[in-house]
Amino acid sequence: MVRRFVISLVGVVVIVFGLFAANLVAGNVPSLGLDLQGGASITLQPEGEYDAIALDVAINIIRSRVDSIGVAEPEIIRQGDTVVVNLPGVDDQQRALDIIGRQGQVLLRPVLQAGTLDTSATTTLPGQTTIPSDSTLPGAASGPGNARVRGAATTTLPPSSDASAPNIQVSDDPNDPSVNAVLTDGKGGAFLVGPAGADGLVFTNDATAEVSNGNWVVNVGLQDGPTGADLWNALTTKCFNRDAVCPTGQIAIVLDGKVISAPVVQEAIFSGGTVQISGDFTQAEARDLAKILEFGAVPVKFAVATVQTVSPTLGKDSLRAAIISGLVGVLLVVLFFFFYYRLLTIVILGGLTISFSLLWSVVAFLSKTNGLALTLSGVAGIIVSIGVTVDSYVVFFEKMKDELQSGKTLRGSAQRSFASAWRTILAADTVSFLGAITLWWLTVGSVRGFAFFLGLSTLCDVIVAYSFTRPSVLLLARTRLLNGRKVLGVRMSEGVAQ
Amino acid sequence: MSGVLTRLYRGETTFNFVGRRWWGFGLSLFLIVVTMLSLFTRGLNLGIDFEGGVAWEVPATSITIEDVTAILEANRVDTADAKIQSLNGSDGSRIRVQVAEQTAEVKSAVQSALAEKAKVDVQDVSVSSVSSSWGRSITEKAVRALLIFFVLVSVFIAWRFEWKMALSAILAMVHDVLISVGVYSITGLAVTPATVIAFLTILGFSLYDTIVVFDKVHDNTARYAASRVSYADITNVSMNQVLMRSINTSLAAVLPVLSLLVLGSWVLGAVALEEFAIALLVGLLLGAYSSIFVATPLLAQFKTRESKYASLADEIHTGSEMARIAGSGKKTIQRVAATAQDSEREVVLASSALTHPPRPRKKRRR
Repeated sequence: MVRRFVISLVGVVVIVFGLFAANLVAGNVPSLGLDLQGGASITLQPEGEYDAIALDVAINIIRSRVDSIGVAEPEIIRQGDTVVVNLPGVDDQQRALDIIGRQGQVLLRPVLQAGTLDTSATTTLPGQTTIPSDSTLPGAASGPGNARVRGAATTTLPPSSDASAPNIQVSDDPNDPSVNAVLTDGKGGAFLVGPAGADGLVFTNDATAEVSNGNWVVNVGLQDGPTGADLWNALTTKCFNRDAVCPTGQIAIVLDGKVISAPVVQEAIFSGGTVQISGDFTQAEARDLAKILEFGAVPVKFAVATVQTVSPTLGKDSLRAAIISGLVGVLLVVLFFFFYYRLLTIVILGGLTISFSLLWSVVAFLSKTNGLALTLSGVAGIIVSIGVTVDSYVVFFEKMKDELQSGKTLRGSAQRSFASAWRTILAADTVSFLGAITLWWLTVGSVRGFAFFLGLSTLCDVIVAYSFTRPSVLLLARTRLLNGRKVLGVRMSEGVAQ
Repeated sequence: MSGVLTRLYRGETTFNFVGRRWWGFGLSLFLIVVTMLSLFTRGLNLGIDFEGGVAWEVPATSITIEDVTAILEANRVDTADAKIQSLNGSDGSRIRVQVAEQTAEVKSAVQSALAEKAKVDVQDVSVSSVSSSWGRSITEKAVRALLIFFVLVSVFIAWRFEWKMALSAILAMVHDVLISVGVYSITGLAVTPATVIAFLTILGFSLYDTIVVFDKVHDNTARYAASRVSYADITNVSMNQVLMRSINTSLAAVLPVLSLLVLGSWVLGAVALEEFAIALLVGLLLGAYSSIFVATPLLAQFKTRESKYASLADEIHTGSEMARIAGSGKKTIQRVAATAQDSEREVVLASSALTHPPRPRKKRRR
């Protein structure tokens, strides 16, 4: 037993401080949010026709894209007719542009040659409009048959896969819609695709994934008129007829240069206004495809008007105040517990240090990798969460006090009270964690950031309670350190209760 | 007085919470009614992040952020949640000012004042309306997520404890958040995204606190299952036993928040912390109050009607009677230990005998 406790105690201390040190050495420090550190501000100017509603839809779509990791807390506002996107801590303006601009451009490109490892299987279409898709990949892109194939190839690439035929000029920029390109689907398949016939704008923002005839399919509506259904039908007609620009009959749905799906066209003209894409989708794949089609169809075209760095709204003074007052607050908590639990406060202090180091490491690491940024309320939230985390110790020590007062040995009490406190802690933390997961999964923006930290601090609490608090108290109960002292109001003698 | 403290310390107080439950219910109902009235008449003072407002952009030639603040104040624009940022790009630097919605006169007055100060043409200072950064979709998604969370938590509590506890816990949680919002409505403090986050924190804390109390009630329910003890007595005993825990935890949670408010916001002047800290402070106090005076008495109210406890419904023991019940629930180890006090060995044996069944003899390997 003792050995296991020592291993657990040493293990957690070594791991946590190892992580802490590793982050320090790697130079990872928590990055700060818009309010504390500023960032990049990008002004997007809408082009062409749009109205206020379309602009709002577009803002929501941009938010979903920028917010994909959900912890960076970007700020997206409409200012006059422009959309302003503020990204925290992004000093590199080009990177900010990449995040906004490139993401989520859906192109529909005819497939000239498919070298997929999984051959696409076409299936029959019920009634209306069906495109069976490549068997494994979700995603659909369709372009109207491009009447204007300007083969403005820029470079000639050696075929990068079995898909590309020799002597066909391809571009090395997979995002250039006007020239042939070799694209992969990330799963071993490769496609030689022609110039894009259309983009995601031919679809309406209502893609849904549903079950039809026992299979997952994706339904999406077509926009009316020359920019919607007409464009689409032109493309599908060519593909259906195995025209020279679309010899395979497949349309690759391309998101950011990656083929998401390459369904075979089953109908020349989609007169019903909706398109159904079927194939061996899993539920998740169908959902992803629906999401891509929906988000890809941004109703407004934007041009980047300006890119600027933006100063913080609050500044370092606020951060300093938060940190100072937070530390004082935690110090007060420790003092209070020292007055109340005396020597056992060592355990609380140790646990708090471990929690803090663990939190710091995770925040620093995610700042580096996922662009996490701490806002002032985030910093304050962490400080408060440390105050709340202390509850685990209180539950534990209060139960131990009961046991001691009913006349048990310190050693026995520690063991029994942890067992019972552990159940309480687990029950309460499960609820918190449930909340964190639900909120993180289903929300966006700062609520999502909050959920992330709630989940993180709850996990920390569970880890610290089991692998630090438990062994340290149980070991402490075995040592002679507490002999002759008063523990929780009961004087200890040689391991015997009074 | 020290007697009370000692008993409090030992969890041996005999406060009759359940018997006085209508005090708590009454106070809570009163606060909820006041909250409702205030929400319908006064509403909430939503900040620029929710409501949007107006933005000016001025070329930062000779004008500084301090100048801008002065101009805003001269035009009686509330600068508490104004966002003033400097922008630096390839086409020079600008200052962007965002404040809550203003009248047309104020807009043009500020515009010309800014232009004058920056020594540029009035046309070079842009005025535009800004939308909220907290889009409607964020609120909708958050509300939907919260509803799903309530369902999940209810299922979890119903599974781990029982459904009446789930109902009481959720009611108490709604109570806390509602009254916290009420405080914001009555005082007219600006609601910012940070405030919303604080409300969510409160929600989590309130639930956590309630579950710790319910865990004790749950334990005691099993302990008294064989004896004829009314549910009111069980909850009273449980609450007195966890009272010290509740007080300690609440103090530990409130101390950092108080520090943020008093030291961080008032002494060190980080105004942005104030709104956040006030919301948290109110919520934490409410959470501690509601788990003792709302959630658990509600539970007792629900449970007393059950057939098992119905015959004892009106039975509430107070004072020494309650202490006797509390004592009878404690494990018999006390007596064992007392008689065996002279021998250390026996005590160890006695206690370990109760914690574990005797270890079965290992079969020897062949």
